[in-house]
Amino acid sequence: MTTTNTSATAPTLAPADLKPAQRTWRAFRRNPLGMGSAAVILLMVVIAIIAPLLAEFPSGYGIEILMPPSAAHPFGTDDLGRDVLAQVIWGTRISMIIGFASSFLAILIGVALGILAAYAKRLDAPISMLVDVSLALPVLPLMILVAALVGPSVTTLVVVIALFSWPEVTRIVRSQALSVTRLPYVDAARTIGGSHFWIMTRHLLPAVAPIIVVSVVLTASRAVMSEAGLSFLGLGDPESWSWGKILFNAQRSGALTVAWWCTLFPSLAILLLVVSSTLMSIAYNDARNPKTREN
Amino acid sequence: MHLTGYFLQRLIRGLVTFWFAVTVTFFLVRLLPGDPVLAVAAPGMTEEIRQTQLQQFGLDRPLLVQYFAYLRELVQGNLGVSFLRSQPVSQVLMERLPWTLLLTGSALLLTVILGVPLGVLAATRARGWVDQVVQITGVVGQSLFVPSLGILLLYTLGLMLGWFPIGGAVKSGLTGFSYYLSVLHHLILPSFTLVLAQLASYVLTLRATLIEALGEEYCDLARAKGTRENKVIWKHALRNALLPTTTLIGLQIGFLVGGAVLTETIYAYPGVGRAIYEAVGQLDFPVLQGAFVLLAATVVIANLITDIAYGLLDPRVRA
Repeated sequence: MTTTNTSATAPTLAPADLKPAQRTWRAFRRNPLGMGSAAVILLMVVIAIIAPLLAEFPSGYGIEILMPPSAAHPFGTDDLGRDVLAQVIWGTRISMIIGFASSFLAILIGVALGILAAYAKRLDAPISMLVDVSLALPVLPLMILVAALVGPSVTTLVVVIALFSWPEVTRIVRSQALSVTRLPYVDAARTIGGSHFWIMTRHLLPAVAPIIVVSVVLTASRAVMSEAGLSFLGLGDPESWSWGKILFNAQRSGALTVAWWCTLFPSLAILLLVVSSTLMSIAYNDARNPKTREN
Repeated sequence: MHLTGYFLQRLIRGLVTFWFAVTVTFFLVRLLPGDPVLAVAAPGMTEEIRQTQLQQFGLDRPLLVQYFAYLRELVQGNLGVSFLRSQPVSQVLMERLPWTLLLTGSALLLTVILGVPLGVLAATRARGWVDQVVQITGVVGQSLFVPSLGILLLYTLGLMLGWFPIGGAVKSGLTGFSYYLSVLHHLILPSFTLVLAQLASYVLTLRATLIEALGEEYCDLARAKGTRENKVIWKHALRNALLPTTTLIGLQIGFLVGGAVLTETIYAYPGVGRAIYEAVGQLDFPVLQGAFVLLAATVVIANLITDIAYGLLDPRVRA
């Protein structure tokens, strides 16, 4: 039994001195779907950063309204003659900023509360209750109410989306951290007189770190969808472009019934980002798990 | 007896959830930056009107007094007045709620009707090509942005092929049978948008739990008894595999309602979601707040129904 096992896996076995993170990376690198997705996300980040170099900020009016895709306007023009490609490029910037900023905030809150709930028995019940209740509520109408009250802006969107996205993170982190708090090394840390804060940040946090990596990607892609949804309903930042806002403009002006290019390209951008995020987190999970990892 | 206790516990949880929703909105609306009068009156009012409104709605009173007054009104079904229509919010929304219920209800039903066979198909042919297709479409399906999907269906099936109407819920001036036929005709595209947006999560969940269930010992036992594989799948394994799927329905209802808001906006479907879209454009805060409270109540009730279904499906709850 042991011999067959060893001989079967020996040729691809990774050197034993590799750290877990290195092993994960080695396995991840070999998954074309995961690497492809990571490349797509990286490309979108680059587009977001160098947007001003790629296209002029779409503003004002053009003469060529509702033109189908052509050499001059690869994605066509909208009802005011603005270039759709430029809108999608500048939209990448805002969608990325809002996606990552609100996911960062949501994860900060979510991880802190998740670890606290798992470690401090007395806080577990109220935090879990809060999470259950928040997850049961229809979030979009609540986000709409708050965003409309505060007035739409990038900051509003980031805060509103983060405010209603952390419970998901807390739920996942709590369940993972809960299994770790029962391990002997946490008791050992307590026995040698470690402070609660030290145990939570130095012993529990590293144990849930892989979960956080997956959460960042998934929460960010969900945040991009939330932003698109709010912008689509007219709650986007009035000063900037986002993918949802392009759809909102097409819906409000009626362009969506005559010009498929006004809605197709921003839709594809959203789909591409979310699919890549999902695939990348699946690939990461597979690479991290020794059972599904091939080496 | 135990079942009653379980239902009672779920009922209390539902009530707590609803109370939480109401309380959070109340304090959010009043503590957030922004004029609280905006929550009850049109923007752009004069200072005089502002003062009258402050007094009339008691917005100058201590927060807690306001809170209890709000709860008292809410229990009586009073959600305030829409200044846009000068109608009670409850009246505006109650006219529209049946359409939203029809849309979300039909979408949920269709999702289950389509999702169960697809999940079974994928699970019983695990790693075959049907399964591969289901899994890949599943990942893409879970990533669909509801308005994009709605626009795609509207553009292709509604505009290009002209099979379905592209807006509204019913053609005016119809009676009797043709009225219902028209309702159904208008329902198909928006309902299908919601079905496609959520189908993937159901199929993938059912697939995973069914594969697990089919490997359990009780399924081996059933096979050893000589039970046909079809019966093992549909009678033994599926019943257990449906439990996590039932839980998923409860978890997904919030998403479904959010999707309905977006879908109704695209198809100009006269439900609560379209009312929200219109209220956003006019900054009609009483309607926005009322709509959230009403939708939260709907979700809580729907969750209660799935809990009851779960209790009936799972004998362990009774034990």
